[in-house]
Amino acid sequence: MKRISGILMIMLLSITACSTDDSGNGSGGTDTDAFDRGAMLAHWADNIIVPAFEAFEVSSQSLENATTAFVNDPSATTLSALRNQYRDSYVQFQTVSMFEIGKAEEIGFRRFLNTYPTNASAIESRVESGSYNLELSSSYVEQGFPAMDYLLYGLGNSEETLQKFTSGENAENYRNYLLDVAERINSLTAEVATAWQGDYRDQFVQNTSSSATGSVDRFSNDYVMYFEKFLRSGKIGYPAGAFTGTPSPENAEAVYAGDLSKELYLTALEAFQDFYLGRGFNGSGTGPSYKQYLEYLDSMKDGADLNALIQNQFDAIEDQSAQLDGNFKSQVQTNNTAMLAAFDELQKAVVLLKVDMMQALSISVDYVDSDGD
Amino acid sequence: MKRHLFAVVLGGLTLASCSSDDDAITPDPEIEVPANYTFERNNNSTVSYSGQTTRLEMTSEILSNFNDFDNSSEEMLKNMFANENNPFSEASLNESSKSVKSKVAASNLYFSTNSVESNEIRNDFEYFISTQMNEVKTNRNEVAEAGVAGQIADGDAIRYVNAQGLEMNQAFAKSLIGALLVDQMLNNYLSQPVLDEGDNRLNNEAGITEEGKSYTTMEHKWDEAYGYLYGDPSIPANDPNSVLNESDDRLLFNYLGRVDADEDFEGIAEETYEAFKTGRAAIVAGDYDLRDEQANIIRENISKVIAIRAVHYLQGGKAEIENGDFGAAFHELSEGFGFIYSLRFTHNPETGAPYLSKATIDTYKDQLLDGNGFWEVSPETLDTISEEIANAFGFSVSEA
Repeated sequence: MKRISGILMIMLLSITACSTDDSGNGSGGTDTDAFDRGAMLAHWADNIIVPAFEAFEVSSQSLENATTAFVNDPSATTLSALRNQYRDSYVQFQTVSMFEIGKAEEIGFRRFLNTYPTNASAIESRVESGSYNLELSSSYVEQGFPAMDYLLYGLGNSEETLQKFTSGENAENYRNYLLDVAERINSLTAEVATAWQGDYRDQFVQNTSSSATGSVDRFSNDYVMYFEKFLRSGKIGYPAGAFTGTPSPENAEAVYAGDLSKELYLTALEAFQDFYLGRGFNGSGTGPSYKQYLEYLDSMKDGADLNALIQNQFDAIEDQSAQLDGNFKSQVQTNNTAMLAAFDELQKAVVLLKVDMMQALSISVDYVDSDGD
Repeated sequence: MKRHLFAVVLGGLTLASCSSDDDAITPDPEIEVPANYTFERNNNSTVSYSGQTTRLEMTSEILSNFNDFDNSSEEMLKNMFANENNPFSEASLNESSKSVKSKVAASNLYFSTNSVESNEIRNDFEYFISTQMNEVKTNRNEVAEAGVAGQIADGDAIRYVNAQGLEMNQAFAKSLIGALLVDQMLNNYLSQPVLDEGDNRLNNEAGITEEGKSYTTMEHKWDEAYGYLYGDPSIPANDPNSVLNESDDRLLFNYLGRVDADEDFEGIAEETYEAFKTGRAAIVAGDYDLRDEQANIIRENISKVIAIRAVHYLQGGKAEIENGDFGAAFHELSEGFGFIYSLRFTHNPETGAPYLSKATIDTYKDQLLDGNGFWEVSPETLDTISEEIANAFGFSVSEA
């Protein structure tokens, strides 16, 4: 059941026939308001999504370059440079991970780049045999950033790692595998960026319908699902054991690098929040956004301004994160209560976004997260 | 909800047949409530609650091993609680992806943004296990005394208690009635956010069933609530009340029967069953107001069962203390402690929250276990707690 704000209801009554708010069956959308969805979509695409992918593409190219430099001349210097580039690129990836729509969705971009925990023993046997196909969906757990994490930080200290890539058994295979993983991150990224620079941008922006197949409806579902499943559950909930009651430190993101997990979390959180507010990716001011849309609709929840509730909750999440260690693996091992508290704050935002915001925007939620029996 | 009503009023004034889901709903006289909990679609039963039966069976096995000091261990009971490392005698339980622990204090309404407390509660259950298999097990051949764990006679029975006189198996079992069964029923599966999640209403009305199943998601959610009460394998699916007070269930259904057997509360089992059937029929008919009314009847009755038993055992314990029979008293108080623990999961339909606050319930637990616990708790304290609980739930201490 959708709640329609009183004002919106009056508008509807005075202008047209009623909206059926359950446009989820694609029976042709009826615009429920005059908010300029096209302008919002254009701002999203031109000032946030495309620049974010372009920046990440530069970063993933640098990652491939640093990997090439390392495998051509493995040394303490090239390893250190590669590790730094890996960290930078993994952080940068957090600014595009939520945009799993269009080409990214089609090719399973996020699955290939960031399925974790990675499968270290599978990687080892791939390296040993030298035989693998990273295009298979069954190889999600053998590539992407989590695989690089293992290869750069999971094989031992710097010296031991270097030894694996130089004089150790299968050193050449390690070098090949690492480079293949880096190249694949870069080529998948280029594919998505190119799609946005090409026809997909117009396709996305012009699909202003408010039906379930319209860009706003579809993107919003992806955006909110990202927050729930990847930001809340993936980065915090699974390692904290929020669903099982037993912490799983090995489920932390960037578990081998260790001290990177909180930075990844905070970057993702900030990118998500900036998108909500409509902040341009390159700091170029703000434009039409969820925030503006909710303000335009004058959306309320229990007598309070919905946008203010959402922004306050983002603040509460950020405030809470001050209690978190830079390394989520050790966080859940030493004080899991702080991780669970983070989960609780994130879940409060899930309710505001998935239930209240989606209802206010008359968007049908097309996924469920129930785990019944 | 205020805005919603506002919209309905406006809609009603100006344009009668406007929004499909805002129509004032009166109970549909066409709704057929079957004699038994039997519902079909195309001649296939749509009722399924095997997941609940699985969790009840896991609980039974945990409890049957709880006092077996010779063959059980802390690790084994904790493995059973979390279903890890194939702990059960039945392969089907080991192979199940389900566990008791994952659904303890895990309801949508009370714990979805409260995993910190949820975690504390799960830790309490693990504490009951570790206390049993350490403190109590070590002293199992010692006579218990104030501040010392051990065994204590209760007529012909032997009770094993911790230093405060609390039986861990009773604490575990009776607290679990609240933390697992009541919480999942009242605050999860019967709650609107779960019943109406996503497109559940649309799918229910269109008869779109879950993939490979004969039920709609909403029908199934309701059945999952049903299964926690009636899912013990010894309870016949079509007519549970025929074995009221005669089944092998030792959890909620058992105590619903005990309360129903008290003439002050006679009929509560029948009323609860009727509400389950009527609510399920209402889902089939798409009458969600009627559904939610039934959910509230169930919430009130089940909550009351917990409170009535809590008071019943406190009063029983008080009487035995006054008789000077500590063994019998501790057994009653241990059960009472568990039911008090379970009050946290009750659901008052008027407030959408437990009948008593968490803080108040925590105070009761502290009062019972403070210092040497049951060895020195006063009859006055037991009376005060009993009165407060009875008042909050609208019955009298003497009725329980």
